[in-house]
Amino acid sequence: MGISAALNTSLAGLQATQTGLSLIASNVANAQTPGYVRRTAQLVETNGGYGASSVRVDGINREIDQYLQRQFRVESAGGSYANLRAQFYSRLQSIYGDPNSNSGLEAVFSDFTNAVQSLATSPDSTAARSGVLNSAQTLAQTLSLSSSRIQSLRLDAESGLADAVKSANEAMQKIADINNQLGGREITTASDAALADQRDAYIDQLSQLMDIRTVTDDQNRVTVFTNTGVQLVGMSANKLAFNAQGSISADSLWNADPSKSGVGTLTLVTPSGSSTDLIATKAIKSGTIAAYIDMRDNVLVQAQDQLDSLAATMAQALSGTTVSSAAAASGAQSGFDLDISGLQNGDRISLTYTDQPSGTQHRVTIVRVDDPSALPLPATATTDPNDQVIGVNFAGGVASVATQIGAALGGALQFSAASGKLRVLDDGAANTVDVDSFSATRTTTTLADGTTAFALFTDGAAPFTGAITGNGSQTRGFASRITVNAALLNDPASLVLYGAGVTDGDATRPTFMLDQLTSATFAFPAQTGIGGVNSPYVGGLSDYLRQVLSMQGASAASASSLADGQQVVVNALQQRLNDASGVNIDQEMARLISLQTAYGANARVMTAVRDMLESLMRM
Amino acid sequence: MAVTGVGSAMLPTLQALSGMRNQLDDLQKQLASGLKSDTYAGLGLDRGLTVGLRSQLAAIQGYQQSNTLVGVRLELMQTALTEFDSVSQQARGTIAQSQFTLNGGSQTTAQVNAVNVLDQLLGTLNTSVDGRYLFSGNDVTQPPVDTADHILNGDGTKAGLKQLIAERKQADLGGDGLGRLSVGAPGATSVSLTEDAAPPFGFKLAGATTTMAGATVSGPTGSPASLTFDIGATNPSEGDTVKFSFNLPDGTTADLTLTATTASPPGFGQFTIGATPGDTATSLKAALTAGLQNLGSTQLAAASAVAAGNDFFSADADHPPQRVGGSPPFYGATTLVDGSATTVQWYKGDAAANDPRTSVTARIDDSVSVAYGARANEEALRKAVQSVAVFAATSYSGSTTDQVAYNALQQRLSATLSGGQNQQKISDIGGQLATAQVALQNTKDRQDQTNTTLGNLLQNVQGAPSEQVAMQLLTLQTSLQATMQTTAMLLKTSLVNYL
Repeated sequence: MGISAALNTSLAGLQATQTGLSLIASNVANAQTPGYVRRTAQLVETNGGYGASSVRVDGINREIDQYLQRQFRVESAGGSYANLRAQFYSRLQSIYGDPNSNSGLEAVFSDFTNAVQSLATSPDSTAARSGVLNSAQTLAQTLSLSSSRIQSLRLDAESGLADAVKSANEAMQKIADINNQLGGREITTASDAALADQRDAYIDQLSQLMDIRTVTDDQNRVTVFTNTGVQLVGMSANKLAFNAQGSISADSLWNADPSKSGVGTLTLVTPSGSSTDLIATKAIKSGTIAAYIDMRDNVLVQAQDQLDSLAATMAQALSGTTVSSAAAASGAQSGFDLDISGLQNGDRISLTYTDQPSGTQHRVTIVRVDDPSALPLPATATTDPNDQVIGVNFAGGVASVATQIGAALGGALQFSAASGKLRVLDDGAANTVDVDSFSATRTTTTLADGTTAFALFTDGAAPFTGAITGNGSQTRGFASRITVNAALLNDPASLVLYGAGVTDGDATRPTFMLDQLTSATFAFPAQTGIGGVNSPYVGGLSDYLRQVLSMQGASAASASSLADGQQVVVNALQQRLNDASGVNIDQEMARLISLQTAYGANARVMTAVRDMLESLMRM
Repeated sequence: MAVTGVGSAMLPTLQALSGMRNQLDDLQKQLASGLKSDTYAGLGLDRGLTVGLRSQLAAIQGYQQSNTLVGVRLELMQTALTEFDSVSQQARGTIAQSQFTLNGGSQTTAQVNAVNVLDQLLGTLNTSVDGRYLFSGNDVTQPPVDTADHILNGDGTKAGLKQLIAERKQADLGGDGLGRLSVGAPGATSVSLTEDAAPPFGFKLAGATTTMAGATVSGPTGSPASLTFDIGATNPSEGDTVKFSFNLPDGTTADLTLTATTASPPGFGQFTIGATPGDTATSLKAALTAGLQNLGSTQLAAASAVAAGNDFFSADADHPPQRVGGSPPFYGATTLVDGSATTVQWYKGDAAANDPRTSVTARIDDSVSVAYGARANEEALRKAVQSVAVFAATSYSGSTTDQVAYNALQQRLSATLSGGQNQQKISDIGGQLATAQVALQNTKDRQDQTNTTLGNLLQNVQGAPSEQVAMQLLTLQTSLQATMQTTAMLLKTSLVNYL
């Protein structure tokens, strides 16, 4: 009968409005809950009998724009990447000091050159001598302090990575769990919607850590991949593993070979046990994790390289002496004799020769290498891009050196030992090659051997010679180990007295130091990021320092403006996401009013049905 | 408990607000410090320029400091030289004009005072600033000259100038006072002068001339040199002269002129014309011997003292003082020997052979150097010290010959103090140092100017002009207030309030 149908229908209407009300209540209650997606009831018309249509709540709708959500995730990965880099760059900036203070690297270096300048004016003054030593010590300490702060930043990145991995694993596990709980059904209940909200929140969390892609299948399961296509989560979660290192020094570098790596590496382990190195495969390109890796393995390593190059170049500028060769001839062959007896491990011999008749000039750099495992040397062992680099073991004496060079170089040049010296000769009458020059740079390891050069700075207690070993160059991490020669601290007079018969007023050595520090130019390696591989930066020490500070400042400023820009994008998307999915109280209130009205109307229908039934009863 | 998420819908507005708040703080900091930023990143595109400017400024300030120091040194050197010059000028006057009146002892008043003058000269040469001696070449920690007492009287086992003069006098004059010459008569009518085999010492024969007709001079020839004067077959006429010339150890010359006379006995510087040329020759020989003795104790003695002064004052670390070889008495000495072990070394500074000016150089700007060294043994300075010292070191007995000897010394010393044509003068040193001073002053002026220019430029680049910052601050304040107000209004306008 129609009346009871109307009663049922209005009952159904009341129920539908109640559901709507409860959804409004939960929307309003969760207005501030992060990740909460506004819900609406999905109503469908059902047959109420007697030609009437009833209503039924078919499901709960989560008002979400998936495209917007995807874009938001991509951008928020970029946002946290840019943000973290900006944070690290800003901390790195503080290492270089306030430009206006007198404790920054720049000011300390200026102080040192000024102290040397004073010494050149008053070589006899004890105050000027201790001034040079004090400022040299301050410079060495500043370099080593800056290095240790850079390394502690790297350690922060390392532990930051460990935390990020932990948090990523947690999120991945939760996503897998919810996938299992929700798998294979539509979201019809509020609790399902809550689960879906939670899953979205975890995916958001993961997307801040790394750049991910998600695919939702028709079974309402979400599969998460890295942007390079490695699956992270499906029905089960893979695990990220990270072997964090407790201490990091300038020598600790990442290496694909775990036995050589000084820092932790990030691997993805599947439940079946197979693992992939995510750093080696460069699977993560954005998000917090990528930013940590970039800082730890690139930016901070380069910052350390810059300091190391400054320290090494400065030490060698003061301790290097050029050894000239003497002309030599044998029959029609002409060439040079070079005394290589004083060369230290890492010292270099330069040879230039010209092919005839083409006139092509060649440069060869011969490096003394005591560690056989470092041989042969790569071409990048010197900053000169156009030279041929030959590493030679000096253990076998001059004759053996000559043999090694001859074997490595081939061609028409002849190398031999001539009364204790290394001799190079051209091919004489055949005249296919001419030797242009032959000289060496010798590192002075003592204080007063009669040359103006001396070992002002040392590598701890050992002399700094730029030696190359199987573990790398002595230059790596030198900024953290640089000290003022302890022998010099005990004997400040050696700043002036460079040999026998030199008087206290002799400014030769201080002037040499001043020239080396202010006007001499040097080539700096490409790994410092200043200059390139093919055209290394050539300039004075203070010019180089200026380039470093300028470049770091520019990088930090651009990282910070990038982060700001990215923040704007993320904020805009967040705003749009909020508009689309968030709770608008006004909207909810308006719907509340309409639901109230609908509830009243349904109740009115029921009252009408009751009246009608009563009328019937009274009959 | 930390509450997260509340107000997440307002997040962008909140971030905008806190962003503005940070800018406000930053501007306030800029206003307080007057500087744009405390990191290189915050300096903007000019950061490379600021690093360069600061290093240039630091270098200039370093130069300015040390240039002030160099300026002070140059000033003091000029002051010392001026005083040295005036003292040595006075000394020249005193030496030239002093009368030979012994002051109760063996020296004249002027000689006694000369010790004080020497003290003054040595004192100015020992001028130092901040422990740095200005007249030691590059051996700046070493006082360049010894004391007047050591120089004159020796120091313990080391002999001083007085002893050198005495020894040299013995060697130059010889035991018989004839200046290491022997007078002989090789023939009946001839006299001869023969040098002792004593290369640096005594008279050296230069020649002889005569107005006598028929007389012959042969030599000086041979080794040791010998000179023979033969009167010939006829006696000279009265008034005829014979002049013997000698080279003295200090490079001067002396003549001994003997005149023929009929008086007997002959006066000083005369010889009697005898009955025969043989008799005349005998008288000539006697007159020659007496004349040599006189010349020896006057001119030769003065020249010997000057030569001893040269031996003593030409010495430095690389050139040992020359002493008479052998053992006392040195009448038969034949050589000068290295006396560094037994003689006071008056100059102790740097002994290099280079130009004294270049012994000390100062870098006063990038690629600008001035040379401003000086050594106390430079010719002009050494000659003055030497002359005064020799004057103070000689002593006399008061005899007539001593008066002549005193005068001979006076002449020599005042000539030395006046200086020759191509000899260095004290004003030459002063002039060269003045060149350095001018260069220094020019550099200083340029550096002051550069310092100001670069300082202004740096201020422009890294400074935050307070007017601009204040304006930005106000603008920001306004917009911050507006944002806050509208945000508050927006939050208030909710349907909830109107239900």
